[in-house]
Amino acid sequence: MMIDAHVHIGKSTRLQIDVDGEHLVRVADEIGFEKICCTDLTALFYDMHEGNRLLYEEMRKFPDRIIGYASLHSTRFGEEALQELERCANDYGMRGLKIYSTPQMTIAEPATIPILEKTVDLGFPILAHATPLECEYLMAAVPECRLMMAHAAAQPYAHGDWNRAIMAAKRYPNLYLETASSTIDTGFLETCVRELGPEKIIFGTDIPLLDPYFQLSKVSDTNVAADGLKKILGGNILRLMGLA
Amino acid sequence: MVLDVNAFIGKWPYWPVSISSPGDVAQKLPEWGIERACICSTRSLFVNWDDGNIEVGRAAREYPECFIPFACLGTFELSHRIGSHIHDLALCRAQGFRGIRLYPQHHSFHPLFESFVDVICEQAAALRFPVLLSMRAIMNWGVPSLDLSSMFGLIERHPRVPWILSGVNYLHEIRASVAYLKKYETVHLETSCVMGYEAIRKLVEECGHEQILFGSAAPIQHGRANLEKILHARISDIARESICCSNARRLLQL
Repeated sequence: MMIDAHVHIGKSTRLQIDVDGEHLVRVADEIGFEKICCTDLTALFYDMHEGNRLLYEEMRKFPDRIIGYASLHSTRFGEEALQELERCANDYGMRGLKIYSTPQMTIAEPATIPILEKTVDLGFPILAHATPLECEYLMAAVPECRLMMAHAAAQPYAHGDWNRAIMAAKRYPNLYLETASSTIDTGFLETCVRELGPEKIIFGTDIPLLDPYFQLSKVSDTNVAADGLKKILGGNILRLMGLA
Repeated sequence: MVLDVNAFIGKWPYWPVSISSPGDVAQKLPEWGIERACICSTRSLFVNWDDGNIEVGRAAREYPECFIPFACLGTFELSHRIGSHIHDLALCRAQGFRGIRLYPQHHSFHPLFESFVDVICEQAAALRFPVLLSMRAIMNWGVPSLDLSSMFGLIERHPRVPWILSGVNYLHEIRASVAYLKKYETVHLETSCVMGYEAIRKLVEECGHEQILFGSAAPIQHGRANLEKILHARISDIARESICCSNARRLLQL
């Protein structure tokens, strides 16, 4: 079973995205992804309540295909954010959290810590668009949370530094690396697996921002053993979300 | 037949890449589905452009069925000497090179303020010698990049050069490239860093397929992964073949 752990739904002019669940499920069918883990762009960048509700509506249309991440546009909303997480877990049936960091508005700060503690209570893994340094800060604060470093640090703010991501993930047992990225460096996956084991690598594509075919190829067209690939391509995210 | 207009030989200094020698690259590219590739040496980017070209010439003689040599040209300026030499593209061609690559971001020159760049461009236009102008060597935010206005300022100054825009990734970079593909039929775009969702299909729909060239930045980037986005793009088989091979053959006069 192939599962895409990094998918966006909804609207963003900045990212030039406007897609619904029907579009994403059609793409998933073409590629062979049985489930897609989605975060709503409105929730991630503007209004968590509105965006998470929109995602819930799409989840209801495709209950066997779309797994929801609750998204927060900021971790600085205190009790309001904690209540939103509870709503997403208990009322919407979402299975994880997505948070996003920028150099100008980093999530590596004390305000994020109650959020992480709440995810431990809820059993949510966290997909964090954050640098290795930021992830290390968060893991040091709440080591029992399960954090997936989105893009394995191969994103602009982390300067494409997946080697640094590996070093961070070696230090923290609950820090995982997610593969979606514009970068397709030869040897990336093999190095991750050699240093961390396949259990700590999560497959994602970042559709509909990135082309899914090269994302899948950079993982599947490698010399990683079949049982390891099976975990990376779906088993690990199901385990983290309590769905295995 | 897949012809890659943007591959490398040589070592990668930032992290281990197991494929680096000409023999390694010549063996690996066909495993990824790439039969022929235009190459330059990473030594040209990181050490000395002329030394790298010697490696490329040697590799092309050793593996003529696989490699098409491109010369990487840079400044003659040195810390102890004014750069008074002049590049000679006719000599490059006589030495077997089929095109030029420029990496201003790696060679400490500004493409709009160095006379040797204009000399190269004037010769390239006269000889119809392709010039690959790199925005970034690979898709990684940690490596140096050329700013958009410099890239397109140079093209605007020398529109008759057979250009290959290389390393373009961001949405605004793609949009600017589209504008220049439409404006000048001499401008081509290679795909090594075009990673966007449906990006290949949109490029073909907007600009046609004749100015799009497959490039991989292999072996630093994963050659097969880069090819997959072309093979699965929702474009006609004619367009796919053109991008994978015939456009490059025409441009390189093969």
